[in-house]
Amino acid sequence: MSEVLQGTLDLMVLKTLDTMGTLHGYGIARRIEQVSEDCIQLNQGTIYPSLLRLEQKGWISSKWGVSENNRKAKFYSLTRAGQKQLVREAESWQKISGVIGRLLASPK
Amino acid sequence: MRTLLSKIRAIFSKQRLDDDFNTELEAHIAMLTDENLRRGFSPDEARRAAILAIGGVTRVKEERREGRSFTVIEAFFKDLRYAVRMLLKNPGFTLVAVITLALGIGVNTTLFTAFNAVALKPLPVRDPYNVVRLERWFENGNHGDVQYAFSYPEYVHFNQQNQAFSSLTAVSWPEPVLAALASGSTETLHARLVSANYFPDLGVTAFLGRTFLPEEDQIPGAHPVMMLSYALWRDRFHSDPNALGQIIKVNDTSFTIVGVAPEEFIGTGIPSIVPDFWTPIMMQAQLTPGQNWLDNPLDQRFQILARPKPGISVKQAQAEIAGLQQRFTQLHPSRNRTLTVTLELAHYLPNTNDPRFQVIVGLMMIVVGMVLFIACANLANMLLARSAARRKELTVRLALGAGRSRLIRQLLTESTLIAVLGGISGLFLSIWASKVLWLAIQQWLQGPFGPGAAFLVSLSPDSRVFTYTLLISIATGILFGLSPALRFSRVDLTSGLKDEATAFGQRLDRSRLRSFLIAGQIATSLMLLITAGLLVRGLVRSQAVDPGYETRSVYLVSFNYGSDAAKALAIQRRAIDRLRELPQVRSVTLTGGIPMAGTTSQEVQSDDTRSKSFSSDTLLARVAPQYFETLGIPLLNGRNFTPQEMDRGAPVAIISELTARQMWPDENPLGRHFKLQDRVGRTTGPWVQYDVIGVAKSVRTANLSRLDPMMLYLPIRPASLENILMRTEGDPKIALAAVRSTLESIDRNIPPSLQLISLEQGPLHFEKVQARIWAMSAMSLAVLALALATVGIYGVMSYLVSQQTREIGILMALGATARDVLRSVILQGLRPVFIGSVFGLAGAVAITSLLRATLIFASSPDFLYGVRMFDPVTFLGLSALLALVALLASAIPAWRAIKVDPMIALRYE
Repeated sequence: MSEVLQGTLDLMVLKTLDTMGTLHGYGIARRIEQVSEDCIQLNQGTIYPSLLRLEQKGWISSKWGVSENNRKAKFYSLTRAGQKQLVREAESWQKISGVIGRLLASPK
Repeated sequence: MRTLLSKIRAIFSKQRLDDDFNTELEAHIAMLTDENLRRGFSPDEARRAAILAIGGVTRVKEERREGRSFTVIEAFFKDLRYAVRMLLKNPGFTLVAVITLALGIGVNTTLFTAFNAVALKPLPVRDPYNVVRLERWFENGNHGDVQYAFSYPEYVHFNQQNQAFSSLTAVSWPEPVLAALASGSTETLHARLVSANYFPDLGVTAFLGRTFLPEEDQIPGAHPVMMLSYALWRDRFHSDPNALGQIIKVNDTSFTIVGVAPEEFIGTGIPSIVPDFWTPIMMQAQLTPGQNWLDNPLDQRFQILARPKPGISVKQAQAEIAGLQQRFTQLHPSRNRTLTVTLELAHYLPNTNDPRFQVIVGLMMIVVGMVLFIACANLANMLLARSAARRKELTVRLALGAGRSRLIRQLLTESTLIAVLGGISGLFLSIWASKVLWLAIQQWLQGPFGPGAAFLVSLSPDSRVFTYTLLISIATGILFGLSPALRFSRVDLTSGLKDEATAFGQRLDRSRLRSFLIAGQIATSLMLLITAGLLVRGLVRSQAVDPGYETRSVYLVSFNYGSDAAKALAIQRRAIDRLRELPQVRSVTLTGGIPMAGTTSQEVQSDDTRSKSFSSDTLLARVAPQYFETLGIPLLNGRNFTPQEMDRGAPVAIISELTARQMWPDENPLGRHFKLQDRVGRTTGPWVQYDVIGVAKSVRTANLSRLDPMMLYLPIRPASLENILMRTEGDPKIALAAVRSTLESIDRNIPPSLQLISLEQGPLHFEKVQARIWAMSAMSLAVLALALATVGIYGVMSYLVSQQTREIGILMALGATARDVLRSVILQGLRPVFIGSVFGLAGAVAITSLLRATLIFASSPDFLYGVRMFDPVTFLGLSALLALVALLASAIPAWRAIKVDPMIALRYE
């Protein structure tokens, strides 16, 4: 199990919303944990500052709705600007992870 | 950007957002709990696990809140609310603090308002930051108003040749003229000659009627038209729109009123006097008969205001105008060559970039700054005392986990709030004070000059004044709040909570800052007090001072001579002859200069002295032989001028006693020589050698404050229209009536324009008013400083004594007598007073030396009226006064302390 790398949580949230469509905070947190196959133990509270940040930047929007077991909850979805941002961030992530991969793979 | 907006919005909807998030978080927890239940947890455990998984409800909320908005700003609003509550809880403290600061900030703002009005505010014209004034620089280094004077041919030359300016306008200095109004009254009005484009190009439109037309300024004497100032129209024509088209007779010419200037147009400065009317330059010969300003290329009479064309920098424009000036100098060489011409932004006052002006303003700023310092020191002390009382509260907050920086911010918010409140009150105080001050000054000036000569009046605060007040308020708030805040946010938690260690343990440390503040206050107020004391002593002397000549029965005789120069001279000579025959008139003289009404100074050189090459600045007066008799100035040595010498314009001179002592100490000055440059108007001629034929007693003509350090009397120029001074005998009313009827018998046109003002009522009055203004301002500042310092000392001493009640109780229980306690408390209070006095005395010496240093010019006033620089009476007397006040301020609390019953004192707290 590992901590979430600084700055990567935003990207995870964006990608999750991209794949799953509209989702509430609990759903997002759960989904990230599932995808990571419990590699990442998310402190679920931390996604709320992340959601706020993304919303302030206009990359996601939120609406009140009712969850599958009839609870009032806030649902988040990706905006168009958020989709563009996701593409950009994914690209740069690929690039960096590639570089880091090569660096680590290079012989001593 | 979006983030910023959203954060700003969040400031205002804090409550709703908090509620929203609570719901959201609650839903999250509920869902987690559901899942945990499914996994087989017990209900309680399921919820606990859910809360653990999200990392604690409060923490999440806090994190969310920090991200949502500017915590700093939210905290600021919280601090502000808290500060307001604290201030309302202690209305007495708040009131004293705000009043103290209002006084300190008020005097600063008042001075700044005045400075702003004369040196910073733009002229009341369209697009004022684009208007420049031409300034010339002389080879001989002449400074002052002369630098702004250009001859009419020069103006025409610039106007025709330049490419860089969209307009050049010319305006003369205000000329006093005798004007006969239609109502039948005659009075002295001030007029300025202007080029026809002066009003339109500066963007000033007439309030009534019109401004001048181009054709009205083309043919000399052809269009006698005038524009009135708003003030003259209001006061003399009672705001009657029918004033347009009416006639005002100036000299022999009837001028038609064609317009009235708007109220806010108070002229373009230099000097800062609102003229009564304007008239085209072509009317010069009619306005000032017997003179010709239009044709002489060296007769410098006009200021030039200009607007550079759009896209042309001031530098380019300056280069061009300097080049044009060079060409003009080649065509019309003069002895005092103009080296270059520069452009400066047009303000009311000239030479605001002159270091001497800046030094004076700087000094005044320092003085009022000192008053503000005293106010700040008071507040710092009050806050120190109060935060000591709030120790417990602060300690509790620190113990509960408040950060130190957070606490400092909170305390600074409180002090800044006090300061801003003080600043606002100070601003109102200053608006009121400048109004009162202005009314007082105008009242004093009303006497000799009449309502016509109003100084610039626009003292209303503008955005610059508001900014200045706001800035000094915030600065003072931080200044006096910082040290208490720093000190008390660093509390030792245990001792702070235990509360009692305070009185003994911490006193020593804190009293050092306090002593420093008291010493500073004492030093500053003593400095101000002594300076003011010297000025007031000077004032007392000025009201009683003997100028050295007769003033009550000597009258200035002025009337309208008409515009024909030859005829005017004949009338004047006949008038003098007839007046001399009157038994009520003891003596009549012609004179170039009137005592106390302006001076002429010039450089004098002599190679006939012991040091071979004597050179100095001297005062100068051209007078008729009867001058000495009329004014009652005795000739100590040698002889008077003869009428023949006067007619010839012989190069002979009578010098004052002090001049003789300075040029020829211990020698007989009679028969010695000196040289002067001949001077007519603003132009200078060759050096002329003069023989000394007499020595007159030294008197005060430049300033009432001191004997003229150097004065040369030369014979008056033959056939020149100069001032008449007359000395009456017996009852002045009878004498003046006789003078009036005699003059009427010469010419029936004289009486309407006749003015008879004695030296006492006229020029001398102005001198005394000046001294009064200086001394009054200094005195009110000093009294203010003393009052503030007294309040400060009293406050600190009461606080110290109240803190030591237990200590005193113990001492008295152990057998100390009331006298012992009293002495120890008072001595403790007086130590910083003593140290402060020493520094204050040193500072006062420095200030008076500076006042002394102004005496280097022959015509400069002696602000102290000959009071000695280290006048022991003033220095020691005021030090003693201050010590007495300090003693009283510390004795009262001390007295209260020893009245305390030891038993009560020990149980105190």
